Amino acid sequence: MTEANKAPLLEVKDLVKNYHDGPNARNILDHLDLSVNEGDFLTILGPSGCGKTTLIRCIAGFEDYEGEILVEGKAVSQPGIDRMMIFQTFEQLFPWKTVKKNIQYPLKINGITDKEELDRIAEKHLELVGLAGKGDLYPHQLSGGMKQRVAIAKGLALNPKIILMDEPFAALDAMTRNKLQAELIKIKEKENATVIFITHNIQEALVLGNRVILMSKNGEIKVNMENKIPKPVTPASEGYGEMWKLLNEALWEEDSEGGAVSE
Amino acid sequence: MKSETRSEIRDQIIFIICFIIAWYVVYKMRVFSPTAFPSVGSIGESFVTAFTTNDMLSYTGHSLLLIAKGLAIGIGLAFIFSSLAVISKHFHAIYNLIVSICDLLPGVALLPLAICWFGIGEITIIFIVVHSIIWPMSRSIMDGFSSIPRMYIESGMNIGLRGLKLVTGVYLPAAFSSVLSGMRVGWARAWRGLISVEMIFGTTSSGAGIGWYIMMRRNFMDMSGVFAALIVIIIIGVLVEYGIFRTVENRTVRKWGMVQ
Repeated sequence: MTEANKAPLLEVKDLVKNYHDGPNARNILDHLDLSVNEGDFLTILGPSGCGKTTLIRCIAGFEDYEGEILVEGKAVSQPGIDRMMIFQTFEQLFPWKTVKKNIQYPLKINGITDKEELDRIAEKHLELVGLAGKGDLYPHQLSGGMKQRVAIAKGLALNPKIILMDEPFAALDAMTRNKLQAELIKIKEKENATVIFITHNIQEALVLGNRVILMSKNGEIKVNMENKIPKPVTPASEGYGEMWKLLNEALWEEDSEGGAVSE
Repeated sequence: MKSETRSEIRDQIIFIICFIIAWYVVYKMRVFSPTAFPSVGSIGESFVTAFTTNDMLSYTGHSLLLIAKGLAIGIGLAFIFSSLAVISKHFHAIYNLIVSICDLLPGVALLPLAICWFGIGEITIIFIVVHSIIWPMSRSIMDGFSSIPRMYIESGMNIGLRGLKLVTGVYLPAAFSSVLSGMRVGWARAWRGLISVEMIFGTTSSGAGIGWYIMMRRNFMDMSGVFAALIVIIIIGVLVEYGIFRTVENRTVRKWGMVQ
């Protein structure tokens, strides 16, 4: 582990989040510690209501919190372009801007005004997500999968330190989801991005992540393990079965009602 | 979609033709005195003479100029105050109260005050026009702002927009259909208010408008002239709706897929 002596990109220390929305409001996140190294692809699993979305919303800067969240040693206090969030909903692009403008607008705000440069960046990232030539369409003319691709392109174009993804593929059909998973791995490799990816799908967690954590209902990290299965990960890969079983059992344990856990 | 609007237009044209025929029949039956209920032909004639000999164009121009000034100021102020209400919660609370109160006051009821303050002249008219548009417009903009999906605001904050930049970059375009409907309501109220004030005022140093024209025709007991002026008012209303509002709507919220 050559990276062991390098400071992690993201450090979460003793993080507590409580909305204080009632006299007995519980801690959504309960003294949680986490560190993510540069180039990590961390997937976070957990039952509904375990606070996984709250965790990345805190990292993104959308929530106040107690404890510490440090990106390259600097405390997170508000949203910023070093942490780009990609949401589950298809409606995260601005409908009043074309695909190309959706990608270019954040760049413009952040000081890139040269038109050729903007066009070059937009084209490069549209190509990266397989949407070359679609730049002049409006979001409402795209399918759900295409919208998520644009959201990824938009996030990458800003060259953030961390990409935060909150179940971005959960509302897609299985075929499209598989395709986007494969593409996301390729893009991550190519751009050497650091990704934190929330999912409720064990297979997705294993296919994408080189680290997988599983959160408990109490807002703590229950499982934190490396995923050493070589990419591309399929259910036939060696070691997949054991990891799947371990995670599945941990999820079942958390799910007190014993309802279905998606595989 | 296309054939639907076409059949709608066909129905509307048929209705107008039937209406004119019914008018003609009522006139021919002499139910009302011809002075009070002029013939279609004489209204048409008055419509033409209004422009050829009675200088209707300059009356219309005068009214339109005043309303344009009033609308520009009113819309501008509504934007500024509604934007401030997004940035500051305290201002929102206060402005919300002001809008609720002022929206209840008819412009004409403020006329005596306005005359006392500004005298009989252009400023008073513009004051009434601004009053007619600023409150409904502010109400629509603020309602629009508060119903914007949280997602757009968070996306905007994520890419570094704050304060006023967030308002112009996200709030305004995201609430644009509310902004447009606010403008529609505001324009209609302002146009009606303007005509009323012109009728009460008569002529001012800067000229006279359509309202004054109607009063003059009434004084001459020229009912067909009154009808002709009403038709001018309607035509202007239709032109503004189809020429301005529909065009803007087609080029913005419709193109963006934000309305059906």
